Amino acid sequence: MPSWSDFEPFIVSGLALGGVYALSGVGLVVLYRATGVLYLAFGAVGAMGALTAWSLGQAGAPGWLTWLVCIAVAAAITLAYGVLFGPALAKRDPLVKAVATIGLTLILYGLMDLLWTTSGGEARSLTLPSDNGGFSVGQIQVNWTQVIALGAGVVLTVGTGLFLRFTKLGTAMRAMANDREITATLGVPVRRVEAAAWLGCGVLAGIAGLLLADLVALDATTLTFLVISSLAAVLIARLRSITITFVAAIVIGLLHDLLTPITSLTNYRDMTPFVLAAAALLVMPRSQVMAQSREEA
Amino acid sequence: MKANILSARRTIVVAAAIAIAAAGCSSSSSSSSSSSSSSSTSSTPASTSTASTSAVSTTQCGTKPGVAATGTPIALGAIATNQPGTSFTDIPNMANAYFACVNANGGINGHPIKLYIATEQTNPAQIAADAKQLVQTDKVVGIIGNTSIIECSVDSSYWQKLGYYIIDSGIAPECYSTPNSAAINMGPRYSSDGAVQYALAQHASKIVFDQSNVPGTGYIAAGPAALAKAGNVPIVQLTENVPISDADSVAIKEVDDAGPNGAVILNFTPPEALVILQAAQKLGLEDHVKLWGCSTPCNTDFLAQSLGAKWNNKLFVNAELTPPDVTNTTTMNLYKAILKQYGSAVSGGIGSFSQFGFAEAEIAVHALETITGAYTVASVNAAFKGVTNFNTGMTCQLWTYGSYPLHIPNNEDYTVTPDNGKMVTAQGCTLISSIDPQIAQYRSAAGTAALAPTS
Amino acid sequence: MGADLSLRNTADRRTSRRRPARPQLIKIATITVLLLFVLFGFPQLLSLYYIDTMTQVAVYSMVTLALGVLVGWVGLVSLGQVAVLAIGAWVAARLLFATTQPYPVVLLEAGLITMVAGVLIGLPALRLRGLYLALITLMFAGAITVVLATLNFPNGGHGFTGYNGSLVHIPPIRRPSIASSDPAYFRYSVIVAILMFLLVLAHTKTKPGRAWAAIRQSEPAALAAGINTTLYKLWAFALASFITGVAGGVLAGAVHYLYSIGFPTQDSITLLAVTLMGGVYSMWGAVVAALLYQFLPALLNNWGVSADWLTILFGLGVLQVLTTAPAGLAIEIVEEAHPPPASRLQNNLTRMGHCLAPWLSSLVSCPKPNTSS
Repeated sequence: MPSWSDFEPFIVSGLALGGVYALSGVGLVVLYRATGVLYLAFGAVGAMGALTAWSLGQAGAPGWLTWLVCIAVAAAITLAYGVLFGPALAKRDPLVKAVATIGLTLILYGLMDLLWTTSGGEARSLTLPSDNGGFSVGQIQVNWTQVIALGAGVVLTVGTGLFLRFTKLGTAMRAMANDREITATLGVPVRRVEAAAWLGCGVLAGIAGLLLADLVALDATTLTFLVISSLAAVLIARLRSITITFVAAIVIGLLHDLLTPITSLTNYRDMTPFVLAAAALLVMPRSQVMAQSREEA
Repeated sequence: MKANILSARRTIVVAAAIAIAAAGCSSSSSSSSSSSSSSSTSSTPASTSTASTSAVSTTQCGTKPGVAATGTPIALGAIATNQPGTSFTDIPNMANAYFACVNANGGINGHPIKLYIATEQTNPAQIAADAKQLVQTDKVVGIIGNTSIIECSVDSSYWQKLGYYIIDSGIAPECYSTPNSAAINMGPRYSSDGAVQYALAQHASKIVFDQSNVPGTGYIAAGPAALAKAGNVPIVQLTENVPISDADSVAIKEVDDAGPNGAVILNFTPPEALVILQAAQKLGLEDHVKLWGCSTPCNTDFLAQSLGAKWNNKLFVNAELTPPDVTNTTTMNLYKAILKQYGSAVSGGIGSFSQFGFAEAEIAVHALETITGAYTVASVNAAFKGVTNFNTGMTCQLWTYGSYPLHIPNNEDYTVTPDNGKMVTAQGCTLISSIDPQIAQYRSAAGTAALAPTS
Repeated sequence: MGADLSLRNTADRRTSRRRPARPQLIKIATITVLLLFVLFGFPQLLSLYYIDTMTQVAVYSMVTLALGVLVGWVGLVSLGQVAVLAIGAWVAARLLFATTQPYPVVLLEAGLITMVAGVLIGLPALRLRGLYLALITLMFAGAITVVLATLNFPNGGHGFTGYNGSLVHIPPIRRPSIASSDPAYFRYSVIVAILMFLLVLAHTKTKPGRAWAAIRQSEPAALAAGINTTLYKLWAFALASFITGVAGGVLAGAVHYLYSIGFPTQDSITLLAVTLMGGVYSMWGAVVAALLYQFLPALLNNWGVSADWLTILFGLGVLQVLTTAPAGLAIEIVEEAHPPPASRLQNNLTRMGHCLAPWLSSLVSCPKPNTSS
């Protein structure tokens, strides 16, 4: 059994990984609360933005411009999807809406591999200026990008919680996610609120995409399907509480990395998100996990 | 009632569709993705000279400069992996570029070479089907340029049954352990051996060997394990699931296990290796071990550029082929010239992948030129098998196929290290040690090949 | 009056039952001819490349069939079907290496063991519904994928996992002695696929099918009608897992070599996409889905077109299917094939009360048409 000092660096890296999961996970829950859609294309959209930013950077554009373009691309795709498919699917089961975003994911995934082909020896990477600074914790260095990611997760958790609860727009979004018909009859400009929700989603996905491309890898496959691991945190919070999503993501990241030095378990550590999610869901009392059934949709 | 009619109608429609598809498929496939380069097939090719190398005309690739080959084509085939994240198509594409050059300059006794390239996505059924397509529909008489994660395992018995002696860039164990495959490269096991050997030669006190969890990890790990054991150096064997989503924990674990006097040797594809090394750098860990090593995939200028100056003389990459940047021989210049003129489909540019393709095509052309009669499966594969002591200009040793139960014809390598954005030689040609039992077995059958003269 | 009506209805139903409707006959005849063509014509007409591809189509048509049962008949979306396929393939490979049992026995065992695994996962998972259930299947699939990546597929080694990592030559997984060549194995897989389709037909035309239809329409109503929804949902899981397990066994023999990288989690997502596109209600849907999943990529590969275009097509297909379908995950409900539960049950009760001699049925009291069962 490894000693405490063996575990120590993994606590730091685990928190960083937790920050990565939190960024996607909180983004997903926020989107779900605001639009009623589990936006599984979150990773793909962010990856598309990041790859566009990379291309622009290769062509010589200044860093800040590439980041803006990344966010703009993600926002544009998300807004287009929301405006085109949101109303058509609004009355459907959340499951149907989520599966529809899988359609978007596949389209983007295929597009990304066509536009940014895999070339045998080439490896793309995105670096942010915040990579260069940092501070030491024990024997390892923490760079500012990791801090920003974690911080962004916290800000997102607190900020959107407040936004959804206390602002007029946020309340309208929550109402719409709950029942679009009734909200419309109450005089809320449904289309505009919806567009605002999707736009916000897209911006979030873009920012997350940029950070994740730096922290994880600038690779379409990795970034697109990272969302599967982040779903674990989302599931533990049962798609409701943003705070629980954040905490769950941190716990998953910590546990994943803390398993690394344990030789017998290290090869299985990638299972951590899945096992935790399955366990959390299956030990919950039945009444707490019933999703909307079809006839209510 | 109505529904029954509807579904009956639907049944007939689907039946018709399948029948049409079957009829369509039975005809031979349209020429598969043999990527033709943008060259013209008529006379004077442009003399291509890069600023610092001596000007070399690509016409040297063929026997009759400027004369386009117009006879019946000689069909050859290649299978390469091409999926998101892993693409080896550069290798057959470069071979095709070489063939295009040869076709524009006399061909093989006037016959042009037509290379059929089949791609696959690591699906065994598809790979087996691709092989059958090449043989039965495209009627290829030889296989050269195969580069695939599992193709050698899936198809080796098929090639043996049909009598094809393939020239490939191997990855799977069967590329090196069967009589019907001889590779231009050393493959993950022997290249990792080279990297470990270098680390041991620098007196590393411990070896951590980490590789991607793709088929063959046990086979690959056996080489470094034997070397470390013979050197009385402890070795830790790790594997990582790819694509890696958490490079930090990987880097920390490697460094922890190696200790300050240990060496971390990686066997990954370039993107994964890059991610691990960058994570180590971001964590500030790159100096916490004695040295870092990598098998051949890391040998790209691209990696050298992405890594930056901190890795100069810190990362030692085993290079299976002669480093192109610092070599000024005629062959190397020809390679660069052909790449420039005919290699528009080679996305990776100068690097080991295109070097593999070039060298394999060289060997094939050399073999084909020895054939006097018809170009059949028997004659072409006998010629391939008969290649002996050929100087590819890309490897340390002379290259031999031969009739041996296994083939590891490239078993002497360089070690390179990044130096401000380029890979430079850290150690010249060094034999892979016979402590690796497979190497010992090969050398007892084939002997040790002589060093290739460097001109 | 009422009795006369019921008599007449009974007589009508009796007559229509004795002589199957002509479209039904045409349909059966067409399917038979088509199957004969596939079994005997394809090997003559197609090159080995396409025979191998069609074998894969046969294998995956079983998987899409199973997924169609889950999604279309019961309304359970599974995002982990490829992981189940991997389990089936693993079990079959292990048995084929370790024993000399005949192939059908191995296939049956692979199906049964996978079925047990499916039920074990289904038991706790079925406490969830809708989106949660789909996501939990994804989580299970992710976990299984990681385990497989570490344990690897059997390759002739010893021990429980049957994996020997140091092998220089990996032995191929054997095929049945009667079907070792590619065309013969193609026929073998088509026959197994036909058996699986018949198995599903046997379910959908009888009690489980009616129960599933009732559950899909409205689970609370089905519960109220006395249907044991948990049992039937578990039954669907079991059936789907069994079929997928058998498909895994056939896959093992088809490819000869199995690798964990061949069963990534994202393939389950693509599989769902093609199943939706093919149509989850008809048997043909499963075949169409398998053609999309295996035949089209092989065709494009042959033509040198990138497979990415297909990925995009599947994404568009999913969006199209979901936005043009009426409420629920229902697609093109063919009313006659899936009538509302009440009349179906009533029809069958009539059939059950039906006796050999026509005059006997008049003695059996059949419920009136608008009496709910």
